[in-house]
Amino acid sequence: MSGIPLAQKDLFCTEGLRTTCSSKILSNFIPPYTATAVMKLESAGSITIGKTNMDEFAMGSSNETSYFGNVHNPWKKGYVPGGSSGGSAAAVAAGIVPAATGTDTGGSIRQPAAHCGITGIKPTYGRVSRWGMIAFASSLDQAGPLARSAEDCAILLNEMSGHDSKDTTSLDIESTDLLHTINQPIKGLKIGIVKEFSLGDLDSEVQNRFEDSKKLYETLGAEFVEISLPNISASVPTYYSIAPAECSSNLSRFDGVRFGHRAENTGDLNDLYIKSRSEGFGDEVKRRILIGTYALSAGYYDAYYKKAQQVRRLIKNDFELAFESIDLIMTPTSPGTAFAFGSKGAQNPIELYLEDLFTISSNLAGLPAISIPHGKVNSMPAGLQLIGNFLREDQILNAAHIFQQNSAFHLDKPSMEEF
Amino acid sequence: MDQETVRTICYLARLQIDDKKAQKIESDLETIIEMIGGLQKFDTENVQPLYSPLEKTAFMHEDIESSDNQKEKFLQNAAASNEDYFLVPRVVE
Repeated sequence: MSGIPLAQKDLFCTEGLRTTCSSKILSNFIPPYTATAVMKLESAGSITIGKTNMDEFAMGSSNETSYFGNVHNPWKKGYVPGGSSGGSAAAVAAGIVPAATGTDTGGSIRQPAAHCGITGIKPTYGRVSRWGMIAFASSLDQAGPLARSAEDCAILLNEMSGHDSKDTTSLDIESTDLLHTINQPIKGLKIGIVKEFSLGDLDSEVQNRFEDSKKLYETLGAEFVEISLPNISASVPTYYSIAPAECSSNLSRFDGVRFGHRAENTGDLNDLYIKSRSEGFGDEVKRRILIGTYALSAGYYDAYYKKAQQVRRLIKNDFELAFESIDLIMTPTSPGTAFAFGSKGAQNPIELYLEDLFTISSNLAGLPAISIPHGKVNSMPAGLQLIGNFLREDQILNAAHIFQQNSAFHLDKPSMEEF
Repeated sequence: MDQETVRTICYLARLQIDDKKAQKIESDLETIIEMIGGLQKFDTENVQPLYSPLEKTAFMHEDIESSDNQKEKFLQNAAASNEDYFLVPRVVE
């Protein structure tokens, strides 16, 4: 990767380079160390040319929660790039960098990749070290690359992966060369279609793109099988119990004492905590901290947090059973395409949470998943998601690469005339 | 979700909500809690919670003494510090 310029999501600590998580509370934070994933990419010869905007603390699906302002979608000004890795996706789509890093807690690599017409992969939980990544939800967060093709993603992921003794959840497994395993024939590959996702309810153009991609895979020799994930409808409520709970715990470290924004004119220590946090966090982050605090508080812990972790096991069991008879699962990445700023979630936050309907379950189960562009819906890019079995990045990268060798969607670039 | 509950959660989280935004936050929390409440219909009797997708015990570091004092570097990010410590308002009268 010698000399390859990369952009890093501003959630990865970079020594001597301001790292804000797009929050006021970290607007002056200069980390004294560099995240392992970034360090590995730089050791391979790549050059970090900048940090990218994102939803504040990675909490959002539209990049509209950043303290520093919205990122525009390179395909249409005034439209969201997706989130939370929206800045990374937009930078790659606009041709500023050939690839960028992102993180994915509930779809934050795949959904912006889909909305910006590029490729992005969330690896298996534990494949990439989380050390130096500012934590949002520790049991769901995973770093991965966003690039123009599955092949480029494989090159980056090869470098980012590997055991790190500084992350206690880092997998200690033999490293595999993901470039070596792409470009294999997919004849006989069994792809599952989840019947509970009720794709018939989606926009007809989203359905048409999905059917077109299915046909392409069929002509390449893949076989489709309908599968059932009976508890999948619980993914969104499970996620919105677990992720805020972990977030409320992780974000308790931001108190204005050791780093980050400290409020002025405070009284006692408690007042310093309250004012620094209240001034430093934006509305969406506050909302999630409060939900998490509620879910973890005495009297509600069993009903919300423990219950969600039990349902999470049911979801994981469903995947395990399904993967006994299939190789991978195919879904649209997102129920729709990029939308105009302010058009979703203003009245009801759940409207925006449903953006991650198809992506959240692989985070809950820790599975790898990739999004690749597969055409346009109303002139905006649409994404196709392939979910793999545990540690089977080789299979989803191969299937994505074969798709891209037999189509040209990933080569499509925005005109950028409006900018 | 009544005002009193919201006030208690805010205090536990050390957050203050603007009066102007309080009503919206209250209704948002109620909507989200109601959505999460939908989980109750799933039968989880005798199901063990899954706290991490890996379900492995965190590994232990070797017990080797190391000395890597980076005090200066870490104090640099604090809003108030002296040579040795982070400074906060007096906590003992």
